[in-house]
Amino acid sequence: MYLQNLYLRAFRNYLEQEVVFHSQKTIIVGNNAQGKSNLLEAIELLATLKSHRALRDRELVLDGEVAGQIEATVKRVYGTADLTIKLRKQGKRTFAVNHESLRRSVDFLGYLNAVQFSGLDLDLVRGGPESRRDWIDGLLIQLEPVYAHILQQYHQVLRQRNALLKAIRKQEQDRQLGLSTTAIDRQQLALWDAQLAASGSRVTRRRARVLTRLAPIAQSWHDRISGKTEMLQIEYAPNVEWTEDEPEKVQLAFLEKMELRRNAEYYQGKTVVGTHRDEIDFTIDGTPARYYGSQGQQRTLVLALKLAELELIEEIIGEPPLLLLDDVLAELDPNRQNQLLETIGDRFQTFITTTHLSSFNHDWIQDSQILTVKAGKIVEH
Amino acid sequence: MLPGVGPKTAQRLALYLIKRSDKEVEDLAQAILNAKKQVGLCRVCFHLSAEPVCSICSNPHRDRNIICIVSDSRDVIALEKTREYRGLYHVLGGTISPMAGIGPEQLHIESLVRRVTKEKVAEIIIAISPSVEGETTTLYIGQLLKPFTKVTRIAFGLPMGGDLEYADEVTLARALEGRRELE
Ligand SMILES: Nc1ncnc2c1ncn2[C@@H]1O[C@H](COP(=O)(O)OP(=O)(O)OP(=O)(O)O)[C@@H](O)[C@H]1O
Ligand SMILES: [Mg+2]
Ligand SMILES: [Zn+2]
Repeated sequence: MYLQNLYLRAFRNYLEQEVVFHSQKTIIVGNNAQGKSNLLEAIELLATLKSHRALRDRELVLDGEVAGQIEATVKRVYGTADLTIKLRKQGKRTFAVNHESLRRSVDFLGYLNAVQFSGLDLDLVRGGPESRRDWIDGLLIQLEPVYAHILQQYHQVLRQRNALLKAIRKQEQDRQLGLSTTAIDRQQLALWDAQLAASGSRVTRRRARVLTRLAPIAQSWHDRISGKTEMLQIEYAPNVEWTEDEPEKVQLAFLEKMELRRNAEYYQGKTVVGTHRDEIDFTIDGTPARYYGSQGQQRTLVLALKLAELELIEEIIGEPPLLLLDDVLAELDPNRQNQLLETIGDRFQTFITTTHLSSFNHDWIQDSQILTVKAGKIVEH
Repeated sequence: MLPGVGPKTAQRLALYLIKRSDKEVEDLAQAILNAKKQVGLCRVCFHLSAEPVCSICSNPHRDRNIICIVSDSRDVIALEKTREYRGLYHVLGGTISPMAGIGPEQLHIESLVRRVTKEKVAEIIIAISPSVEGETTTLYIGQLLKPFTKVTRIAFGLPMGGDLEYADEVTLARALEGRRELE
Protein backbone atom coordinates (compact mmCIF):
# COMPACT_ATOMS: atom_id res chain seq x y z
CA MET A 1 0.00 0.00 0.00
CA TYR A 2 1.12 3.53 -0.65
CA LEU A 3 0.20 6.82 0.98
CA GLN A 4 -0.02 9.26 -1.93
CA ASN A 5 -0.80 12.45 -0.10
CA LEU A 6 -1.70 13.87 3.25
CA TYR A 7 -3.63 17.02 4.06
CA LEU A 8 -3.73 18.44 7.57
CA ARG A 9 -5.99 21.24 8.75
CA ALA A 10 -5.83 22.60 12.29
CA PHE A 11 -4.12 19.39 13.37
CA ARG A 12 -1.61 19.81 16.24
CA ASN A 13 0.70 22.69 15.22
CA TYR A 14 -0.30 22.54 11.52
CA LEU A 15 -2.75 25.22 10.40
CA GLU A 16 -3.03 23.96 6.84
CA GLN A 17 -0.59 21.66 5.11
CA GLU A 18 -0.68 19.49 2.03
CA VAL A 19 2.09 16.98 1.29
CA VAL A 20 2.41 14.82 -1.80
CA PHE A 21 4.66 11.79 -1.38
CA HIS A 22 6.61 10.56 -4.36
CA SER A 23 9.20 8.17 -3.00
CA GLN A 24 9.18 4.92 -1.01
CA LYS A 25 11.18 6.72 1.67
CA THR A 26 10.42 10.05 3.24
CA ILE A 27 12.81 11.69 5.66
CA ILE A 28 11.30 14.39 7.84
CA VAL A 29 14.00 16.62 9.23
CA GLY A 30 13.74 19.52 11.67
CA ASN A 31 14.71 20.85 15.07
CA ASN A 32 12.97 19.81 18.24
CA ALA A 33 9.30 20.71 18.70
CA GLN A 34 8.67 21.70 15.06
CA GLY A 35 6.06 19.08 14.12
CA LYS A 36 7.91 15.97 12.95
CA SER A 37 6.20 13.55 15.34
CA ASN A 38 2.90 15.32 14.76
CA LEU A 39 3.06 14.38 11.08
CA LEU A 40 3.66 10.70 11.90
CA GLU A 41 0.90 10.86 14.48
CA ALA A 42 -1.57 11.87 11.76
CA ILE A 43 -0.62 8.76 9.77
CA GLU A 44 -0.86 6.59 12.88
CA LEU A 45 -4.40 7.88 13.47
CA LEU A 46 -5.43 7.00 9.92
CA ALA A 47 -4.19 3.45 10.41
CA THR A 48 -5.36 2.71 13.95
CA LEU A 49 -7.66 5.57 15.02
CA LYS A 50 -5.40 5.79 18.03
CA SER A 51 -2.48 7.93 18.98
CA HIS A 52 0.13 6.61 21.34
CA ARG A 53 0.65 10.15 22.63
CA ALA A 54 -2.80 11.71 22.91
CA LEU A 55 -5.51 10.62 25.30
CA ARG A 56 -8.14 13.06 24.10
CA ASP A 57 -9.05 14.49 20.73
CA ARG A 58 -8.90 18.04 22.07
CA GLU A 59 -5.10 17.73 22.32
CA LEU A 60 -5.00 16.99 18.61
CA VAL A 61 -6.80 20.12 17.47
CA LEU A 62 -4.71 23.25 16.87
CA ASP A 63 -4.96 25.63 19.81
CA GLY A 64 -7.64 28.22 19.17
CA GLU A 65 -9.58 26.12 16.62
CA VAL A 66 -12.71 24.06 17.30
CA ALA A 67 -12.07 21.27 14.80
CA GLY A 68 -9.21 19.73 12.89
CA GLN A 69 -9.04 17.42 9.91
CA ILE A 70 -6.77 14.75 8.48
CA GLU A 71 -7.21 13.68 4.86
CA ALA A 72 -5.23 11.18 2.87
CA THR A 73 -5.29 9.14 -0.31
CA VAL A 74 -4.10 5.55 -0.06
CA LYS A 75 -3.28 3.40 -3.03
CA ARG A 76 -4.04 -0.28 -2.58
CA VAL A 77 -3.79 -3.18 -4.98
CA TYR A 78 -7.56 -3.11 -5.46
CA GLY A 79 -7.86 0.67 -5.93
CA THR A 80 -7.46 3.93 -4.09
CA ALA A 81 -9.31 5.24 -1.07
CA ASP A 82 -9.76 8.77 0.23
CA LEU A 83 -9.78 8.83 3.99
CA THR A 84 -11.01 11.67 6.18
CA ILE A 85 -11.01 12.05 9.96
CA LYS A 86 -12.58 15.09 11.59
CA LEU A 87 -11.46 15.77 15.15
CA ARG A 88 -13.25 18.13 17.50
CA LYS A 89 -12.30 20.02 20.64
CA GLN A 90 -15.66 18.91 21.95
CA GLY A 91 -17.75 16.10 20.61
CA LYS A 92 -17.10 12.92 18.73
CA ARG A 93 -14.84 12.31 15.79
CA THR A 94 -16.38 11.62 12.43
CA PHE A 95 -14.98 9.58 9.56
CA ALA A 96 -15.43 9.29 5.85
CA VAL A 97 -14.12 6.94 3.20
CA ASN A 98 -14.34 8.16 -0.39
CA HIS A 99 -16.32 11.14 0.91
CA GLU A 100 -19.05 8.96 2.30
CA SER A 101 -19.43 9.36 6.04
CA LEU A 102 -19.39 6.24 8.16
CA ARG A 103 -21.49 5.51 11.17
CA ARG A 104 -19.08 3.13 12.87
CA SER A 105 -15.39 3.67 13.43
CA VAL A 106 -14.78 -0.03 12.76
CA ASP A 107 -15.61 0.52 9.10
CA PHE A 108 -12.85 3.09 8.80
CA LEU A 109 -10.15 0.65 9.87
CA GLY A 110 -8.35 -1.60 7.43
CA TYR A 111 -7.78 0.87 4.58
CA LEU A 112 -4.35 1.86 5.84
CA ASN A 113 -1.94 -0.25 7.87
CA ALA A 114 1.12 1.03 9.64
CA VAL A 115 3.70 -0.10 12.15
CA GLN A 116 4.88 2.64 14.46
CA PHE A 117 8.26 2.47 16.05
CA SER A 118 9.31 5.27 18.35
CA GLY A 119 11.81 5.85 21.12
CA LEU A 120 9.03 5.29 23.61
CA ASP A 121 8.65 1.68 22.62
CA LEU A 122 11.11 0.36 25.16
CA ASP A 123 8.05 0.58 27.43
CA LEU A 124 7.00 -2.55 25.60
CA VAL A 125 9.68 -4.42 27.54
CA ARG A 126 10.14 -2.28 30.62
CA GLY A 127 6.61 -1.04 31.24
CA GLY A 128 3.75 -2.80 32.99
CA PRO A 129 1.60 -5.54 31.41
CA GLU A 130 -0.73 -2.84 30.12
CA SER A 131 1.84 -1.67 27.55
CA ARG A 132 2.10 -5.17 26.16
CA ARG A 133 -1.67 -5.64 26.06
CA ASP A 134 -2.05 -2.32 24.22
CA TRP A 135 0.60 -3.38 21.76
CA ILE A 136 -0.96 -6.73 20.89
CA ASP A 137 -4.44 -5.17 20.77
CA GLY A 138 -3.18 -2.48 18.38
CA LEU A 139 -1.80 -5.16 16.08
CA LEU A 140 -5.02 -7.19 16.24
CA ILE A 141 -7.12 -4.16 15.34
CA GLN A 142 -5.10 -3.73 12.16
CA LEU A 143 -5.30 -7.39 11.24
CA GLU A 144 -8.96 -7.73 12.07
CA PRO A 145 -10.81 -4.41 12.46
CA VAL A 146 -13.80 -6.04 14.17
CA TYR A 147 -11.49 -6.65 17.12
CA ALA A 148 -11.83 -2.92 17.93
CA HIS A 149 -15.51 -3.60 18.54
CA ILE A 150 -14.86 -6.78 20.52
CA LEU A 151 -12.46 -4.92 22.78
CA GLN A 152 -14.91 -2.07 23.31
CA GLN A 153 -17.58 -4.56 24.30
CA TYR A 154 -15.29 -6.29 26.73
CA HIS A 155 -14.45 -3.01 28.46
CA GLN A 156 -18.09 -2.02 28.66
CA VAL A 157 -18.97 -5.39 30.24
CA LEU A 158 -16.08 -4.89 32.65
CA ARG A 159 -17.28 -1.41 33.67
CA GLN A 160 -20.82 -2.66 34.22
CA ARG A 161 -19.71 -5.71 36.17
CA ASN A 162 -17.42 -3.58 38.33
CA ALA A 163 -20.30 -1.20 39.05
CA LEU A 164 -22.45 -4.13 40.14
CA LEU A 165 -19.75 -5.66 42.34
CA LYS A 166 -19.17 -2.27 43.94
CA ALA A 167 -22.89 -1.89 44.64
CA ILE A 168 -23.01 -5.38 46.15
CA ARG A 169 -20.05 -4.56 48.39
CA LYS A 170 -21.68 -1.30 49.49
CA GLN A 171 -24.87 -3.16 50.29
CA GLU A 172 -22.96 -5.66 52.40
CA GLN A 173 -21.13 -2.89 54.28
CA ASP A 174 -24.40 -1.05 54.96
CA ARG A 175 -26.00 -4.25 56.16
CA GLN A 176 -23.18 -4.85 58.64
CA LEU A 177 -23.58 -1.30 59.93
CA GLY A 178 -27.25 -1.99 60.43
CA LEU A 179 -28.28 0.50 57.79
CA SER A 180 -31.25 -0.18 55.59
CA THR A 181 -30.18 -1.22 52.13
CA THR A 182 -31.56 -1.21 48.67
CA ALA A 183 -31.80 -4.83 47.70
CA ILE A 184 -29.58 -5.81 44.80
CA ASP A 185 -30.37 -9.05 43.18
CA ARG A 186 -27.20 -11.12 43.27
CA GLN A 187 -28.75 -13.18 40.50
CA GLN A 188 -27.93 -10.27 38.23
CA LEU A 189 -24.25 -11.04 38.66
CA ALA A 190 -24.73 -14.33 36.83
CA LEU A 191 -25.81 -12.37 33.75
CA TRP A 192 -22.64 -10.28 33.84
CA ASP A 193 -20.53 -13.38 34.48
CA ALA A 194 -21.90 -14.82 31.26
CA GLN A 195 -21.22 -11.59 29.37
CA LEU A 196 -17.66 -11.38 30.69
CA ALA A 197 -17.05 -15.00 29.73
CA ALA A 198 -18.47 -14.46 26.23
CA SER A 199 -16.54 -11.30 25.38
CA GLY A 200 -13.43 -12.34 27.33
CA SER A 201 -13.20 -15.56 25.36
CA ARG A 202 -13.30 -13.58 22.09
CA VAL A 203 -10.42 -11.41 23.30
CA THR A 204 -8.19 -14.14 24.73
CA ARG A 205 -8.57 -16.50 21.76
CA ARG A 206 -7.52 -13.77 19.35
CA ARG A 207 -4.57 -12.69 21.46
CA ALA A 208 -3.37 -16.28 21.66
CA ARG A 209 -3.82 -16.79 17.94
CA VAL A 210 -1.86 -13.72 16.89
CA LEU A 211 0.97 -14.42 19.32
CA THR A 212 1.31 -17.95 17.99
CA ARG A 213 1.89 -16.53 14.55
CA LEU A 214 4.04 -13.62 15.61
CA ALA A 215 6.43 -15.46 17.96
CA PRO A 216 8.37 -17.53 15.39
CA ILE A 217 8.81 -14.52 13.10
CA ALA A 218 10.08 -12.40 16.00
CA GLN A 219 12.38 -15.21 17.08
CA SER A 220 13.95 -15.50 13.68
CA TRP A 221 14.53 -11.71 13.53
CA HIS A 222 15.99 -11.82 16.99
CA ASP A 223 18.39 -14.56 15.91
CA ARG A 224 19.52 -12.52 12.97
CA ILE A 225 20.05 -9.28 14.88
CA SER A 226 21.75 -10.81 17.89
CA GLY A 227 23.83 -13.15 15.74
CA LYS A 228 22.10 -16.22 17.19
CA THR A 229 23.80 -15.73 20.53
CA GLU A 230 20.62 -15.33 22.53
CA MET A 231 17.34 -17.17 22.51
CA LEU A 232 14.10 -15.14 22.62
CA GLN A 233 10.89 -16.63 23.91
CA ILE A 234 7.47 -15.02 23.71
CA GLU A 235 4.73 -16.51 25.80
CA TYR A 236 1.14 -15.50 26.29
CA ALA A 237 0.19 -15.66 29.98
CA PRO A 238 -3.57 -15.17 30.07
CA ASN A 239 -5.24 -14.46 33.40
CA VAL A 240 -7.75 -17.20 32.63
CA GLU A 241 -5.93 -20.27 31.39
CA TRP A 242 -7.44 -22.55 28.79
CA THR A 243 -6.18 -25.28 26.55
CA GLU A 244 -8.73 -26.08 23.87
CA ASP A 245 -9.45 -23.31 21.39
CA GLU A 246 -13.23 -23.68 21.40
CA PRO A 247 -15.53 -20.82 22.44
CA GLU A 248 -17.64 -22.92 24.85
CA LYS A 249 -14.63 -24.42 26.60
CA VAL A 250 -12.87 -21.09 26.96
CA GLN A 251 -16.05 -19.52 28.33
CA LEU A 252 -16.34 -22.34 30.79
CA ALA A 253 -12.79 -21.65 32.00
CA PHE A 254 -13.82 -18.01 32.64
CA LEU A 255 -16.93 -19.04 34.55
CA GLU A 256 -15.00 -21.52 36.68
CA LYS A 257 -12.34 -18.99 37.60
CA MET A 258 -14.98 -16.38 38.47
CA GLU A 259 -16.64 -18.92 40.75
CA LEU A 260 -13.28 -19.64 42.36
CA ARG A 261 -12.55 -15.96 42.94
CA ARG A 262 -16.08 -15.04 43.99
CA ASN A 263 -15.17 -13.96 47.51
CA ALA A 264 -12.18 -11.90 46.39
CA GLU A 265 -14.42 -10.10 43.92
CA TYR A 266 -17.07 -9.38 46.55
CA TYR A 267 -14.40 -8.21 48.96
CA GLN A 268 -12.60 -5.94 46.48
CA GLY A 269 -15.77 -4.79 44.76
CA LYS A 270 -14.28 -5.29 41.32
CA THR A 271 -13.55 -7.83 38.62
CA VAL A 272 -10.29 -9.69 39.24
CA VAL A 273 -10.78 -12.32 36.54
CA GLY A 274 -10.39 -11.58 32.85
CA THR A 275 -8.31 -10.47 29.92
CA HIS A 276 -7.66 -7.03 31.45
CA ARG A 277 -5.17 -8.94 33.59
CA ASP A 278 -3.37 -10.79 30.81
CA GLU A 279 0.42 -10.65 30.47
CA ILE A 280 2.85 -11.40 27.67
CA ASP A 281 6.19 -12.73 28.85
CA PHE A 282 9.39 -12.01 26.95
CA THR A 283 12.36 -14.03 28.08
CA ILE A 284 15.91 -14.01 26.77
CA ASP A 285 17.89 -17.16 27.48
CA GLY A 286 15.31 -18.07 30.07
CA THR A 287 15.37 -14.83 32.07
CA PRO A 288 12.61 -12.21 31.92
CA ALA A 289 13.72 -9.43 29.58
CA ARG A 290 11.91 -6.89 31.72
CA TYR A 291 14.26 -7.24 34.66
CA TYR A 292 17.46 -8.72 33.34
CA GLY A 293 17.85 -7.42 29.82
CA SER A 294 20.45 -4.74 29.24
CA GLN A 295 19.31 -1.69 27.32
CA GLY A 296 20.96 -3.08 24.22
CA GLN A 297 19.19 -6.42 24.62
CA GLN A 298 15.89 -4.66 25.15
CA ARG A 299 16.36 -2.60 22.00
CA THR A 300 17.16 -5.73 20.00
CA LEU A 301 14.00 -7.32 21.36
CA VAL A 302 11.77 -4.37 20.44
CA LEU A 303 13.32 -4.17 17.00
CA ALA A 304 12.67 -7.89 16.44
CA LEU A 305 9.04 -7.47 17.56
CA LYS A 306 8.48 -4.51 15.23
CA LEU A 307 10.02 -6.28 12.25
CA ALA A 308 7.85 -9.28 13.02
CA GLU A 309 4.78 -7.03 13.11
CA LEU A 310 5.66 -5.67 9.67
CA GLU A 311 6.06 -9.13 8.25
CA LEU A 312 2.91 -10.52 9.82
CA ILE A 313 0.75 -7.64 8.61
CA GLU A 314 2.18 -8.04 5.13
CA GLU A 315 1.52 -11.79 5.24
CA ILE A 316 -2.07 -11.46 6.40
CA ILE A 317 -3.18 -8.31 4.57
CA GLY A 318 -1.29 -9.27 1.42
CA GLU A 319 0.29 -5.82 1.08
CA PRO A 320 3.24 -4.27 2.91
CA PRO A 321 2.17 -1.82 5.64
CA LEU A 322 3.69 1.63 6.14
CA LEU A 323 6.56 1.96 8.58
CA LEU A 324 6.77 5.00 10.84
CA LEU A 325 10.13 5.52 12.52
CA ASP A 326 10.15 8.32 15.03
CA ASP A 327 13.57 9.23 16.44
CA VAL A 328 14.59 5.60 16.22
CA LEU A 329 17.72 5.52 14.13
CA ALA A 330 19.74 7.72 16.43
CA GLU A 331 19.08 5.28 19.26
CA LEU A 332 20.34 2.20 17.45
CA ASP A 333 23.97 1.24 17.14
CA PRO A 334 25.35 1.06 13.54
CA ASN A 335 24.84 -2.71 13.37
CA ARG A 336 21.15 -2.61 14.29
CA GLN A 337 20.67 0.51 12.17
CA ASN A 338 21.90 -1.34 9.09
CA GLN A 339 19.79 -4.36 9.91
CA LEU A 340 16.73 -2.18 10.00
CA LEU A 341 17.52 -0.16 6.88
CA GLU A 342 18.38 -3.28 4.90
CA THR A 343 15.14 -4.95 5.86
CA ILE A 344 13.13 -1.92 4.89
CA GLY A 345 14.94 -1.67 1.55
CA ASP A 346 12.24 -0.72 -0.90
CA ARG A 347 9.63 -3.08 0.49
CA PHE A 348 7.83 -0.79 2.89
CA GLN A 349 6.87 2.83 2.41
CA THR A 350 8.80 4.40 5.25
CA PHE A 351 8.62 7.71 7.10
CA ILE A 352 11.59 8.62 9.23
CA THR A 353 12.01 11.64 11.48
CA THR A 354 15.39 13.00 12.40
CA THR A 355 17.01 16.16 13.67
CA HIS A 356 20.11 15.63 11.52
CA LEU A 357 20.47 14.24 8.02
CA SER A 358 24.02 13.25 8.91
CA SER A 359 22.73 10.04 10.57
CA PHE A 360 21.90 8.63 7.11
CA ASN A 361 24.25 7.26 4.55
CA HIS A 362 24.51 8.84 1.13
CA ASP A 363 22.46 6.23 -0.74
CA TRP A 364 19.53 6.59 1.59
CA ILE A 365 19.45 10.34 1.19
CA GLN A 366 19.66 9.96 -2.59
CA ASP A 367 16.66 7.61 -2.60
CA SER A 368 14.51 9.64 -0.24
CA GLN A 369 12.12 12.51 -0.46
CA ILE A 370 13.33 15.02 2.11
CA LEU A 371 10.90 17.29 3.93
CA THR A 372 11.98 20.03 6.30
CA VAL A 373 9.61 20.96 9.09
CA LYS A 374 9.70 24.32 10.80
CA ALA A 375 6.99 25.52 13.20
CA GLY A 376 4.21 23.54 11.59
CA LYS A 377 5.19 24.29 8.00
CA ILE A 378 6.70 21.80 5.59
CA VAL A 379 9.04 22.66 2.74
CA GLU A 380 10.52 20.21 0.31
CA HIS A 381 14.23 20.19 -0.45
CA MET B 1 -34.32 23.37 27.59
CA LEU B 2 -36.66 22.02 24.92
CA PRO B 3 -35.30 19.45 22.46
CA GLY B 4 -34.68 20.92 19.04
CA VAL B 5 -34.81 24.50 20.30
CA GLY B 6 -31.48 26.29 20.01
CA PRO B 7 -30.65 29.74 21.40
CA LYS B 8 -31.81 31.51 18.23
CA THR B 9 -35.20 29.81 18.15
CA ALA B 10 -35.59 30.45 21.88
CA GLN B 11 -34.98 34.13 21.31
CA ARG B 12 -37.53 34.23 18.50
CA LEU B 13 -40.11 32.47 20.69
CA ALA B 14 -39.48 34.92 23.53
CA LEU B 15 -39.93 37.91 21.20
CA TYR B 16 -43.17 36.40 19.90
CA LEU B 17 -44.54 35.78 23.39
CA ILE B 18 -43.73 39.29 24.63
CA LYS B 19 -45.97 40.73 21.91
CA ARG B 20 -48.99 38.53 22.84
CA SER B 21 -51.60 39.44 25.46
CA ASP B 22 -51.36 37.86 28.93
CA LYS B 23 -54.51 35.88 28.20
CA GLU B 24 -53.07 34.31 25.07
CA VAL B 25 -49.88 33.29 26.87
CA GLU B 26 -51.90 31.86 29.78
CA ASP B 27 -53.95 29.72 27.36
CA LEU B 28 -50.76 28.41 25.79
CA ALA B 29 -49.30 27.57 29.20
CA GLN B 30 -52.53 25.77 30.15
CA ALA B 31 -52.46 23.78 26.91
CA ILE B 32 -48.88 22.63 27.58
CA LEU B 33 -49.76 21.66 31.15
CA ASN B 34 -52.79 19.67 29.95
CA ALA B 35 -50.69 17.84 27.42
CA LYS B 36 -48.18 16.93 30.10
CA LYS B 37 -50.92 15.74 32.46
CA GLN B 38 -52.53 13.63 29.78
CA VAL B 39 -49.45 11.87 28.48
CA GLY B 40 -48.76 8.97 30.72
CA LEU B 41 -47.86 5.35 30.22
CA CYS B 42 -50.24 2.70 28.97
CA ARG B 43 -51.02 0.50 31.97
CA VAL B 44 -50.75 -2.65 29.86
CA CYS B 45 -47.66 -2.12 27.71
CA PHE B 46 -46.09 1.10 29.14
CA HIS B 47 -46.00 2.84 25.77
CA LEU B 48 -46.59 6.60 25.90
CA SER B 49 -50.33 7.21 25.86
CA ALA B 50 -52.90 9.91 26.60
CA GLU B 51 -55.42 7.23 27.59
CA PRO B 52 -55.04 4.65 30.39
CA VAL B 53 -54.73 1.97 27.70
CA CYS B 54 -52.91 2.95 24.51
CA SER B 55 -54.36 2.83 20.99
CA ILE B 56 -52.30 -0.24 20.10
CA CYS B 57 -53.41 -2.30 23.10
CA SER B 58 -57.04 -1.28 22.58
CA ASN B 59 -57.05 -1.91 18.83
CA PRO B 60 -59.20 -5.06 18.19
CA HIS B 61 -57.40 -5.76 14.93
CA ARG B 62 -54.01 -6.28 16.53
CA ASP B 63 -52.78 -9.83 17.01
CA ARG B 64 -52.86 -10.58 20.74
CA ASN B 65 -50.76 -13.71 20.40
CA ILE B 66 -47.52 -11.85 19.86
CA ILE B 67 -45.76 -9.37 22.12
CA CYS B 68 -42.72 -7.47 20.97
CA ILE B 69 -40.41 -6.32 23.78
CA VAL B 70 -38.56 -3.04 23.34
CA SER B 71 -36.59 -0.88 25.73
CA ASP B 72 -38.11 2.47 24.83
CA SER B 73 -41.26 4.07 23.42
CA ARG B 74 -39.17 5.45 20.56
CA ASP B 75 -38.60 1.87 19.41
CA VAL B 76 -42.38 1.29 19.25
CA ILE B 77 -42.68 4.33 17.03
CA ALA B 78 -39.83 3.07 14.79
CA LEU B 79 -41.38 -0.40 14.47
CA GLU B 80 -44.87 1.01 13.82
CA LYS B 81 -43.48 2.93 10.85
CA THR B 82 -42.61 -0.34 9.13
CA ARG B 83 -46.35 -1.33 9.12
CA GLU B 84 -45.11 -4.93 9.12
CA TYR B 85 -45.85 -5.77 12.70
CA ARG B 86 -49.44 -6.43 13.79
CA GLY B 87 -48.93 -7.70 17.34
CA LEU B 88 -48.70 -5.93 20.70
CA TYR B 89 -45.75 -4.37 22.53
CA HIS B 90 -44.19 -4.22 25.95
CA VAL B 91 -41.94 -1.27 26.76
CA LEU B 92 -39.33 -2.02 29.45
CA GLY B 93 -38.35 1.58 30.08
CA GLY B 94 -34.60 1.03 29.68
CA THR B 95 -32.02 -1.72 29.83
CA ILE B 96 -30.13 -3.33 32.70
CA SER B 97 -27.18 -1.09 33.61
CA PRO B 98 -25.47 -1.25 37.02
CA MET B 99 -23.57 1.92 36.12
CA ALA B 100 -26.85 3.79 35.80
CA GLY B 101 -28.25 1.99 38.86
CA ILE B 102 -30.80 0.14 36.75
CA GLY B 103 -31.45 -3.47 37.65
CA PRO B 104 -34.32 -5.73 36.54
CA GLU B 105 -36.44 -4.31 39.41
CA GLN B 106 -36.34 -0.84 37.87
CA LEU B 107 -37.71 -2.08 34.55
CA HIS B 108 -41.26 -3.14 33.65
CA ILE B 109 -40.32 -6.78 33.82
CA GLU B 110 -42.55 -8.08 36.60
CA SER B 111 -45.61 -6.82 34.76
CA LEU B 112 -44.31 -8.48 31.62
CA VAL B 113 -44.03 -11.86 33.30
CA ARG B 114 -47.56 -11.44 34.68
CA ARG B 115 -48.83 -10.54 31.22
CA VAL B 116 -47.20 -13.53 29.57
CA THR B 117 -48.32 -16.05 32.18
CA LYS B 118 -51.90 -14.77 32.43
CA GLU B 119 -52.76 -14.26 28.80
CA LYS B 120 -52.00 -16.99 26.35
CA VAL B 121 -49.15 -15.48 24.35
CA ALA B 122 -47.86 -17.66 21.54
CA GLU B 123 -44.68 -15.75 20.82
CA ILE B 124 -42.43 -13.14 22.37
CA ILE B 125 -40.16 -11.16 20.05
CA ILE B 126 -37.29 -9.40 21.75
CA ALA B 127 -36.26 -6.30 19.80
CA ILE B 128 -33.63 -4.71 21.96
CA SER B 129 -30.56 -3.13 20.40
CA PRO B 130 -27.43 -5.28 20.61
CA SER B 131 -25.42 -3.08 22.97
CA VAL B 132 -23.78 -4.76 25.96
CA GLU B 133 -26.69 -3.65 28.17
CA GLY B 134 -29.24 -4.69 25.54
CA GLU B 135 -27.69 -8.15 25.23
CA THR B 136 -27.72 -8.59 28.99
CA THR B 137 -31.37 -7.57 29.18
CA THR B 138 -32.24 -9.93 26.31
CA LEU B 139 -30.45 -12.77 28.08
CA TYR B 140 -32.35 -12.09 31.30
CA ILE B 141 -35.78 -11.85 29.72
CA GLY B 142 -35.12 -14.91 27.60
CA GLN B 143 -34.34 -16.96 30.70
CA LEU B 144 -37.46 -15.67 32.47
CA LEU B 145 -39.95 -16.25 29.69
CA LYS B 146 -38.74 -19.39 27.94
CA PRO B 147 -40.59 -21.71 30.36
CA PHE B 148 -43.89 -20.08 29.32
CA THR B 149 -43.75 -19.36 25.61
CA LYS B 150 -41.72 -19.29 22.43
CA VAL B 151 -39.11 -16.54 22.57
CA THR B 152 -37.49 -15.17 19.42
CA ARG B 153 -35.30 -12.19 18.85
CA ILE B 154 -34.95 -9.91 15.92
CA ALA B 155 -31.96 -10.84 13.78
CA PHE B 156 -30.54 -7.37 13.70
CA GLY B 157 -28.95 -6.21 10.53
CA LEU B 158 -28.32 -3.17 12.66
CA PRO B 159 -25.14 -1.24 13.27
CA MET B 160 -23.05 -2.75 16.06
CA GLY B 161 -23.94 -1.06 19.28
CA GLY B 162 -26.45 1.04 17.37
CA ASP B 163 -29.90 2.09 18.46
CA LEU B 164 -33.08 0.67 17.05
CA GLU B 165 -34.21 4.22 16.38
CA TYR B 166 -31.54 4.76 13.73
CA ALA B 167 -32.28 1.61 11.80
CA ASP B 168 -34.15 2.40 8.64
CA GLU B 169 -37.57 0.97 7.99
CA VAL B 170 -36.42 -1.55 5.41
CA THR B 171 -33.81 -2.99 7.78
CA LEU B 172 -36.37 -3.31 10.54
CA ALA B 173 -38.97 -4.95 8.33
CA ARG B 174 -36.38 -7.45 7.12
CA ALA B 175 -35.25 -8.04 10.70
CA LEU B 176 -38.79 -8.92 11.72
CA GLU B 177 -38.99 -11.57 9.01
CA GLY B 178 -35.61 -13.03 9.88
CA ARG B 179 -36.12 -13.41 13.62
CA ARG B 180 -34.68 -16.49 15.21
CA GLU B 181 -35.41 -18.49 18.33
CA LEU B 182 -33.36 -17.64 21.39
CA GLU B 183 -31.02 -20.44 22.47
N1 LIG C 1 -2.96 21.14 19.76
C1 LIG C 1 -1.84 21.84 19.48
N2 LIG C 1 -1.93 23.11 19.02
C2 LIG C 1 -0.81 23.82 18.72
N3 LIG C 1 0.43 23.33 18.86
C3 LIG C 1 0.58 22.08 19.31
C4 LIG C 1 -0.54 21.27 19.63
N4 LIG C 1 -0.11 20.07 20.06
C5 LIG C 1 1.24 20.13 20.01
N5 LIG C 1 1.67 21.33 19.57
C6 LIG C 1 3.05 21.79 19.36
O1 LIG C 1 3.73 20.90 18.49
C7 LIG C 1 5.09 20.89 18.82
C8 LIG C 1 5.59 19.48 19.00
O2 LIG C 1 5.64 18.90 17.79
P1 LIG C 1 6.30 17.47 17.61
O3 LIG C 1 6.02 16.60 18.76
O4 LIG C 1 5.89 17.01 16.28
O5 LIG C 1 7.82 17.86 17.66
P2 LIG C 1 9.03 17.16 16.93
O6 LIG C 1 9.33 17.96 15.71
O7 LIG C 1 8.76 15.73 16.77
O8 LIG C 1 10.17 17.43 18.00
P3 LIG C 1 11.24 16.43 18.68
O9 LIG C 1 12.42 16.45 17.79
O10 LIG C 1 11.50 17.07 19.98
O11 LIG C 1 10.60 15.10 18.81
C9 LIG C 1 5.26 21.65 20.12
O12 LIG C 1 5.77 22.91 19.83
C10 LIG C 1 3.85 21.73 20.64
O13 LIG C 1 3.65 22.89 21.40
MG1 LIG D 1 9.25 14.05 17.95
ZN1 LIG E 1 -50.43 -0.29 25.45
